[in-house]
Amino acid sequence: MIARRLVGALAAVAIFALPLYGSPFAVALGLACLMYATLATSWSIFSGPTRTLSLATSAFFGLGAYCTAFALGSLPWPLIIFLGGSVAAAFAALIGLVVLRLRGAYFAVLTFGLGEVVRHAVTYIEKSQSGTVGRVLTDTPPAGTVYITVAVLAALAAVAYRTVARSDLGFALRGIGADEERAATLGVHVRRAKLAAFCLTAWFAGAVGAAAAVRWTYIDPSSVFNPFIVFQTVLIAMVGGPAKLRGPILGALIFSLLAELLRLRLPYLYMIVLGVLLILSVLFLPEGLAGVRWIDRLLAPRRRARAEASHV
Amino acid sequence: MDPSLFADLAVAGLITGGIYALIAIGLNLQYGLLRIMNIAHGEFLMVGAYLTYALRTATGASPLWFLPVSAGAMFLLGLALHRLVFRRLAATSASPEVLEERSLLVGFGLMFVMQNVALLIWGADLRGYDYLSDPIQYHGVVVTANRLLVFGVVVTISAALMIALRTTMAGKAVRGMLQSPLGALLVGVDTRRLHPICFALGLAMAGAAGSLLSMIFEVSPSMGESYTVTALIVITLGGLGHIAGSFVGALVLGLVESFGMYFTSPSLKVLLSYGVFVLVLLIRPRGLFAR
Amino acid sequence: MSRTFSGCLVWTMAVATTVATFALAPAARADEPPIKIGYAISRTGPFAPGAQVTQEPNYLLWADQVNAAGGIAVKGGKKRKVELIGYDDRSDVETTVRTYEKLMGSDKVDLILPPWGSSTNFAVAPLANKYGYPMLAPTALSRKLVDMKLPYFFAVLQQPDRMMGALVDFLADKKVKTVAVVYMDDLFGLENVNALLPLLKAKGIEVAEKKSYPLGVKDLSPTLKAIKAKNVDAFLGITYPPDTILVSKQSKEIGFAPKVFYSSVGTAFPLYKEVMGSAAEDVMGMGSWNAKSSPAAKAYFQAHVKKFSKEPDRWASGHAWAALQILQQAIEKVGLDRKAIRDYVATTEFQTVVGPIRFQGSENITTPGTIGQWEKGEFEVVWPKDRATAAPVFPKPAWK
Repeated sequence: MIARRLVGALAAVAIFALPLYGSPFAVALGLACLMYATLATSWSIFSGPTRTLSLATSAFFGLGAYCTAFALGSLPWPLIIFLGGSVAAAFAALIGLVVLRLRGAYFAVLTFGLGEVVRHAVTYIEKSQSGTVGRVLTDTPPAGTVYITVAVLAALAAVAYRTVARSDLGFALRGIGADEERAATLGVHVRRAKLAAFCLTAWFAGAVGAAAAVRWTYIDPSSVFNPFIVFQTVLIAMVGGPAKLRGPILGALIFSLLAELLRLRLPYLYMIVLGVLLILSVLFLPEGLAGVRWIDRLLAPRRRARAEASHV
Repeated sequence: MDPSLFADLAVAGLITGGIYALIAIGLNLQYGLLRIMNIAHGEFLMVGAYLTYALRTATGASPLWFLPVSAGAMFLLGLALHRLVFRRLAATSASPEVLEERSLLVGFGLMFVMQNVALLIWGADLRGYDYLSDPIQYHGVVVTANRLLVFGVVVTISAALMIALRTTMAGKAVRGMLQSPLGALLVGVDTRRLHPICFALGLAMAGAAGSLLSMIFEVSPSMGESYTVTALIVITLGGLGHIAGSFVGALVLGLVESFGMYFTSPSLKVLLSYGVFVLVLLIRPRGLFAR
Repeated sequence: MSRTFSGCLVWTMAVATTVATFALAPAARADEPPIKIGYAISRTGPFAPGAQVTQEPNYLLWADQVNAAGGIAVKGGKKRKVELIGYDDRSDVETTVRTYEKLMGSDKVDLILPPWGSSTNFAVAPLANKYGYPMLAPTALSRKLVDMKLPYFFAVLQQPDRMMGALVDFLADKKVKTVAVVYMDDLFGLENVNALLPLLKAKGIEVAEKKSYPLGVKDLSPTLKAIKAKNVDAFLGITYPPDTILVSKQSKEIGFAPKVFYSSVGTAFPLYKEVMGSAAEDVMGMGSWNAKSSPAAKAYFQAHVKKFSKEPDRWASGHAWAALQILQQAIEKVGLDRKAIRDYVATTEFQTVVGPIRFQGSENITTPGTIGQWEKGEFEVVWPKDRATAAPVFPKPAWK
């Protein structure tokens, strides 16, 4: 028990201190990894228990990025991040009021459509207002700061996931995921629960977007509202297994590292290998990476019985 | 408004809609029937397009000859994929939702593989050929021959499919499966044989769509994604599993785009299309023709 | 298969792949150590078509040619071969930035070559500047980027004001009175339009219609028909290859044949001729060279065709090759000290396949804005007159 805690603490220190001892590339890779860990974990807060696929991440991410574009230089960094998240969360609340009544594939495609609407709306507004479509970011904070920010966000996302999962909200969400009508008759405030989780997901996506934007110097709607971001997020979360916390985290870690390794070593074939591995893992790992037995045993041998008992 | 202008915009919209319809119907067949969310649908379209392009450039013959080749190749590929991947997926999934999720992931994997294989074979450059691009005029309405041809083929194929679904035994069996998978089993529908055939048929339609599109537009390995997105929008708009619904939804979308572009600006086209889509779903959450 | 077994199976495969790829280290080289030149370029994703026509083939061809000659004589001394280290950037800015961090920060390659496209160059230029790696970019078109005044960044392509300036001069010369402008909704489209409009106004040319469109548009005939109805003298399209072909085809379909038909990017690609066939005749676009421009240009053209069985494009491909020529000349003159290379590039006039090139700050100030036009199956340079390989055809006759 103590050994496990110690290892965990050491790992945390190693991760947070990476900018101090790691090469710029290692920091960049670590940043990408943590970014997707945050996105996947926060995505799983809503989409995991409710089993409703949300594809709105790109919209939230992009809104956060634009927050940074506007506020950089005039507001302190932590406030910008908080603002990025809050703007995204506010947007989620707004659309959630109308959109959350849909389910299944309809909800998924609709959220994707909303992402595209936001992208084109931003393009149009920017064009009409400033005659240009992108923004140059000057005075960006150093890579180390961005890294720490994203690491903190990842940790917060994990805490948020765990807190929600163990709370009444989590219970309600799982009930909604199992059978929405039944949950409603049992007294669950379906709309409120979904909205709360949806906004929480949005906050993290927006905050990460706000942080990541400074890495690119120049942002424009097509790069920050890029559907690639949400596809990768969903992929990682689902391959990892969104029902347990370790799922999206493991997914982000393995996917980022594996994909990068393959890309660097097999410059022309890596996507094919990745695709094949993906198909195979879906076929043979029905509960995602989180369900693989020996990972289970490695991370929580004695707690497994307790966890399985509490799994609704 | 000038009547010939109106006719012009309407015709342009219907033809664009027709193209969307062909792509969407194949996807709807797969999803409505099998709950397989084939996000790699556009990739099969792309391969179909490349096959027709390659054969046409090699032989110089009319690409129409290669339409059945593209469709047939995709049909066979569909059968193989169903056998190797999707059958096992369906067997090991605890519920239709789980199957949907897992087939989504498999779709991603297929997307990576197919796009990159195409890249390796044909390279990333845009490619294209010229076919029947002469305009046809009728009372102030101008349309290119190739677009008209594509529309004609689309209507034929869609009509044939919808008629087959209504009148033939196999078609009725498929409709039975669409309405109630369990019920179909109970009345003795041979789902084991019909599933792979329907799946493969969906892909064949994607291949056919790709073949037709290669006559009008350029091909590139990444052309499939935007069509997958359009197909998803259309089938959701029309109602998942409702074949005729996709057809109507596609035409509606095409018309909205055509008129919208004219009155506002092409930049707003996407905003309009998605806007209409979002609006429709809010009013009718299960699509225009919900079952 | 039991869950444990299948899980283990997949894991073993994943681990095996990882180990195998690690083990696939490149073989060691004998003789002089090679000059390591790294880059990330789009091999997949939406930027790939452009990057694979205009940029990466030139990198590969150059390395081949240089190595066939025994290498580059570093500072006039020993010849060293070039080793290209290229990665796919997936048309994703984050991946591009990360890759260059690796190349410059961790691997510490000798030199870098730029990625494709304005937005990617935007992301990489400050980074290259930070690490002190000179970057000669043939596909970066943005006044904003040039205005950032990064000492290590050099834009080899002509900037919007020059290209549009050449266009407007030509229009004024031919006494064109009215134009219609259609443009792409992105950095390239907007910067060019913003450069174009004031220049048109200064020459008293009226803009009868101005419409923008998003990437991936599939039908512009309603817009084109509206433009046709206005009877303009010239059509100016700030478009990318797929849209260039779209507006050309659709204009032909509706019989819209103004006196000048200009469609910026893609007209210079061999693809345009392939798809449009005889209809390409007399269409204008951005182009600054062809095989007739000089013997060196001809040699380059033929080498490109021989290696890739496809022609280079008549605009940025030439500039990509020119950038490589400049780099090579710099290495031969001052060696591999990156600061020395930067200083040399910043202060010298070079002879290249697209003519003389000299930089002021980040901008190429010698290559003028140019216009190309398809004439009898070749994309000729028709403006300015002193660079022209053929006279311009004006007015453009009806579509063939």
